[in-house]
Amino acid sequence: MLAFDDVHKTYRMGETQVLALRGVSLEMAPGQFTVIMGPSGSGKSTLMHLAGSLDVPTSGTVSCRDVNLAELSPRARADFRSSDVGFVFQKYNLVANLTAIENVALPLLLRNIPTKVANARASEAMAMVGLEDRTTHRPSKLSGGEQQRVAIARALINHPSILLADEPTGNLDTATGDRILELLRSFSEIDKLVLVVTHNPEIADLADRLVVLRDGLVEADQLQEVASR
Amino acid sequence: MKLNLLRLALKNIRSRRTRSWLTILGVLVGVTAVVALLSIGSGVQEAVLQQFEDIGYDIILITPMGGNMGTRSAEGGFMPGATTGGRLGGQSAPSGSTSTGTSGTFSPENLGSTSMDESTASPDTAMRDAFQRLSGTSLDTELLLTQVPQLLEAGTLGTQIHPIIAGTTSGFLRVSTPSLDFLDAFPSVLGGFDVAVGTSFTNTTENQVIVGARSAELLDIHVGDEITIDELPFTVVGILAASGETTEEAETEDSALSGQALTQNLGTGSADLVLSGLTNTDDSLFVLKERADTVFTSGVTTSVTITRVASGESISETMDAINVAIGLQEASGTPISIQEVADEIQGTLSLIETVLASIAAVALIVGGVGLMNTMYTAVLERTREIGILKSVGARDGQVMTLFLIDSGLMGLIGGILGLVLGSVLSLLGTRLLGPGLGVGSFSPVLDAGLIAGVLVFSFLLGALSGAWPAWRASRLNPVEALAAE
Repeated sequence: MLAFDDVHKTYRMGETQVLALRGVSLEMAPGQFTVIMGPSGSGKSTLMHLAGSLDVPTSGTVSCRDVNLAELSPRARADFRSSDVGFVFQKYNLVANLTAIENVALPLLLRNIPTKVANARASEAMAMVGLEDRTTHRPSKLSGGEQQRVAIARALINHPSILLADEPTGNLDTATGDRILELLRSFSEIDKLVLVVTHNPEIADLADRLVVLRDGLVEADQLQEVASR
Repeated sequence: MKLNLLRLALKNIRSRRTRSWLTILGVLVGVTAVVALLSIGSGVQEAVLQQFEDIGYDIILITPMGGNMGTRSAEGGFMPGATTGGRLGGQSAPSGSTSTGTSGTFSPENLGSTSMDESTASPDTAMRDAFQRLSGTSLDTELLLTQVPQLLEAGTLGTQIHPIIAGTTSGFLRVSTPSLDFLDAFPSVLGGFDVAVGTSFTNTTENQVIVGARSAELLDIHVGDEITIDELPFTVVGILAASGETTEEAETEDSALSGQALTQNLGTGSADLVLSGLTNTDDSLFVLKERADTVFTSGVTTSVTITRVASGESISETMDAINVAIGLQEASGTPISIQEVADEIQGTLSLIETVLASIAAVALIVGGVGLMNTMYTAVLERTREIGILKSVGARDGQVMTLFLIDSGLMGLIGGILGLVLGSVLSLLGTRLLGPGLGVGSFSPVLDAGLIAGVLVFSFLLGALSGAWPAWRASRLNPVEALAAE
């Protein structure tokens, strides 16, 4: 469904060139809880950004359902992010001046769905992550775990086929982090492609598939049995 | 379709309250200035034109401008600028003068003409001599009506200066001398010549005088009183209703017998004569011309012949015919149409208005620059938010629209508030300026065009000021934007 074929990505940071990915090839299928691990600077986040078409590769192709994402117009890529991708970030990335429910409804509002309809669907999504009583709170009034659950509700509001999470438990305590991971896992069970980027080995234990990156290359790629399933 | 974006923009304005209000304030100040100046300007224009309309656009004045009035200042007598103190200017006062000014009395001892004979002339004679040089058009109006068939009616209004004694007060006052046909045809020129107490003139054989409201009040004159004009006894038969228009000097002086008020009306050009001299009835005394011509020994100071053009006749052709008639009568005078004067004044007022509005527009541009600065800073501050929006599927165009609506709304809010504040200011301004401009009370003019123009312009100003920052925002790389702190 989502395929990386010899993907290179080079960044320019001031005077220096950073080789973030140096020829990554991967294929990911729906219903799979994939964890990408690796030390800082190994290219994990870059891989996630390319998977969500927030960025395009310097060379190679990233394709979804055989469509090369780099060949899409900026507008079509935005539409792809809207309809097919849900992002969950380490820093939650909620809009500070919007309430929890408005943050969740934001992707729908950007698709010109009437506020009433958008709010109703956002309410459902918030109930799904257990936050039905926090809808009118602003992000600053929510705990880290609650903010991350709002972010997950927002990521799921458009029923995307791909859920991308970048260190989703990085700012959370263990118990809260576990609940968030359970939530993410549950979506892979309803046939969604869930890709989690982390350097937390405990998350790796929950993965159906573990990919290890190092210096912009795939060091290991293995399927594993998860005891709890 | 942009409704959701509009809501998001509104939320953003509200969440950055202080910054938003300060930005709006910048636009508000500019819009206020433009609205206040334009509406006051239009109000002044309308009030001035209304005065001309009251007099009538079909009226042609024949003033002695081209003749004696033109030579007057060359002879050193009645320059309006020479009246600085309570006395008229002129450095040739007779040193041994016995006249002394007392309270409530205008003493013309300094009223000088360099050509007068200082050793023999008494001040009173000097003044009369000076006024006599300002003789009128001496047009025969009945003859004029036959010579210029385009004219419907004509009448003469003279103005003389006479020594007046009313009770214990004495001094010089303006005496207007309308002819009977003038009062019949052109009462509007004298503010309607509305007699409030007593009657109008009953005959031309008795010494009758009608007194303006302000003069009557200040000199304590009542109907039936006898006052002395030019050493002749006159009976007060009527007192006019107050017109509400008095000359500036008359208002600040204690006495109505003020030389300044008098000379102001005499010493200015024809348009002013029409505006403040002829239509200001409050400070004047009125004696019928027919009577004045037979009893007064001093000459006419200025006289204006007023004619009304029959409907359908061309004003300019009539003026040409009047010029021919003036020549045939061997009289002097220059015809001026009210239309001409009105056009000239309107042209000047429009120019002043344009200049003032241009200055106000600078304030508006400054407001726009402030808005641009705010939006530019907002893009920097909201970089991360732009990244978030893009990650949840916002298109570049939507990000740009969001910022454009944001800045446009701030412009529009500034415009609406500026419109309200500008209207209030212009109302206050007209109250304060009205008397000073000599057009009486007037209202600011705020038409639908100005309102719509201001609102559209302020929204566009906002949107245009925000256009570049908004474009920058839309082009941000989402990955870099998300990495921003």
